[in-house]
Amino acid sequence: METGYISAFWFIVVAAITVPLMLGVGALLRPKSIPTRRGTQAYECGEDPIGSAWVKFNIRFYVVAIIFIIFDVEVAAVLPVATQFKEAVLSGSAGFVFAEIFLFVALLVLGLIYCWVRGDLEWVKGVTQNAPRK
Amino acid sequence: MTNGMKWILLIAELLTVGSALIVAINPNILYSAVFLLFSFLGIAVMYLFAGADFLAGVQVVVYVGGVTILILFAIMLTQWLYRLKLKDIGSKFVVPGVVLALGLVPFLHRGLTQLGKMVQAAPPEKMAEFAASPKTAMIGKALLTNYVLPFEAVTILLLGALVGAVWLARPKA
Amino acid sequence: MPVNSALFAQSLTQWTQGTWFASVPIWVWALVSALIIIYMLALPFGGIATYVERKIAADLQDRIGPNRVGPLGIFQFAADAIKMISKEDYVPPGGDRFLFNIAPVLVVVGSCAGFVALPLGQYLVAGDINIGVFYIMAITTIIAPGILLGSWASENKWSLLGGLRSAAQIVSYEIPVALSIVPIILISGSLQIGEIVKQQGWHDHFWNVFHNPFTFISFFILFVGGLAETNRIPFDLPEAESELVSGFNTEFSGMRFGLYALGEFVDVFVMCALVTSLYLGGWQIPFLELDKFWVTLPSGLIALIHVSFFLGKTFLLVFVVMWLRWTLPRLRVDQLMGLCWKGMVPVALFNILGTAIWMWAFKGQSMLQVVSGLFSGGGGSH
Repeated sequence: METGYISAFWFIVVAAITVPLMLGVGALLRPKSIPTRRGTQAYECGEDPIGSAWVKFNIRFYVVAIIFIIFDVEVAAVLPVATQFKEAVLSGSAGFVFAEIFLFVALLVLGLIYCWVRGDLEWVKGVTQNAPRK
Repeated sequence: MTNGMKWILLIAELLTVGSALIVAINPNILYSAVFLLFSFLGIAVMYLFAGADFLAGVQVVVYVGGVTILILFAIMLTQWLYRLKLKDIGSKFVVPGVVLALGLVPFLHRGLTQLGKMVQAAPPEKMAEFAASPKTAMIGKALLTNYVLPFEAVTILLLGALVGAVWLARPKA
Repeated sequence: MPVNSALFAQSLTQWTQGTWFASVPIWVWALVSALIIIYMLALPFGGIATYVERKIAADLQDRIGPNRVGPLGIFQFAADAIKMISKEDYVPPGGDRFLFNIAPVLVVVGSCAGFVALPLGQYLVAGDINIGVFYIMAITTIIAPGILLGSWASENKWSLLGGLRSAAQIVSYEIPVALSIVPIILISGSLQIGEIVKQQGWHDHFWNVFHNPFTFISFFILFVGGLAETNRIPFDLPEAESELVSGFNTEFSGMRFGLYALGEFVDVFVMCALVTSLYLGGWQIPFLELDKFWVTLPSGLIALIHVSFFLGKTFLLVFVVMWLRWTLPRLRVDQLMGLCWKGMVPVALFNILGTAIWMWAFKGQSMLQVVSGLFSGGGGSH
């Protein structure tokens, strides 16, 4: 393992400790809080909240996350290949590496085109049916 | 490995196993998802100790950044899950679960002893040298020589997964 | 020790050879570098950036801005900090206490830990990790779960909407950002940021943004994607004051809110520093290389000049980020997603291919090298 990760470890530890440290300093300094009914309510601009805030939301957030994961894995897979490209160019054998990168990009584009054409990239789906233009 | 490194490894192991335990036994499914995140992070650290730095990065990018978000979205989408106590539905799976876990022990034991033999057979200084060497270039070279076909197969598989996933998530008429 | 890890701690041990400093173990230096960078660079930057942003906003709108606390109001950030620390600490009773507490930790860790792999100067890196670019990509991804969990734990409709938007936005823009890093890796053949910066010297490739026409486009994609990943205007839908009150941090008060704000500014800094390192030559000084021309300069001074150039370029980008905030209107959610998936991702993919073809055609030379090769009469001399 590289020594750089020792620094990374300490950065994570120091950053994680910073949060309770700052909150702790505040706890020592500030006056005691007196909770009121309005104060402890969920903030909805002064209105009393109706129902739980844990509402059901649109599935499109989920679709975005799914498309993201597939693309992410593909990018992660091409990174090691990309690091070999410069060496291949300098040694004059770039054709093969280029073909591999090209195929990778082509397949990503294919997936993107599929999602695009089938409307999975549309954020607003079927709004025209609900609100016909006058 | 120095003493300090051993401590870091121990922390990572405890993080992984402890979080995994909480994932399994915590009644609140959202907490399970959060501790799954920590478990993923712990595994990434163990990859680092195994010398697989690139794999550790992939672990964090794909699992922490992607899969965790996906799981959180899934839990929040079905919001009644948050109030559900998993203990109530989980109790009938305890006995089959324990049996299944015990059944895995021989396989794990075999794998670990094999690995132990391999580690003992390798000269320690060579192991240290390998662990410190950059892996990204190695993986890149492997993907360009011996593993060209698997690489492309995986790309096509991912394309299929993409098509399938968006098809499943698409609202049906 | 790995050969190519130009570690801050290592160079410290080299400089201090023979003194009692040399006996200090490497993990102590790593801890010291973490303390110095987080408490003397990252967090003060986040604090002062809030003041600078207000001052810039005032200038752009022909107002005066903060001017009461100290000369020109420069102690405003300290006053803000004192105010935030002394505010009532509030955890929504209907929410989830555990997740509410853990969310700021994830955000702060995700933004601060990115500093490890950023080279401030030629040898001034906390840890020049071999997979540096990928490391920063990886460690900043834990911000998104942090924001999402915090917003859920608030039990507030504004928060939840903001958090969901934020998570969807961060994961979407992660793709164009990652794809516009790939051309740089094609050019430099390394994921190590120190190595990438080193190749951008005047007598080498010069800045990667001018390497070829495709990296020029790629630079803007990375920068704009970075804006979206850090929830900055015009991509600040997660916070959108006019629709979501304060978005994902609505229920966070006092220092908890302060930590979110700090985390956001630190994240902006990391993003701008990453763009600087990958495309604008990091600590490289345009048109000359110090250690080649002025070898007589003491190494400490060279380091200082390098750091100031790095910080100068980064702060220039941070200024552009703030400038954009008061210039551009906010995008709609559908425009945001459309821009990412239908605009930036296809262009980023095109850039990868374009850069690969350029590399192949010109044997890895940059535009400047090709042009200077033409003038010096015939073929690439490099």
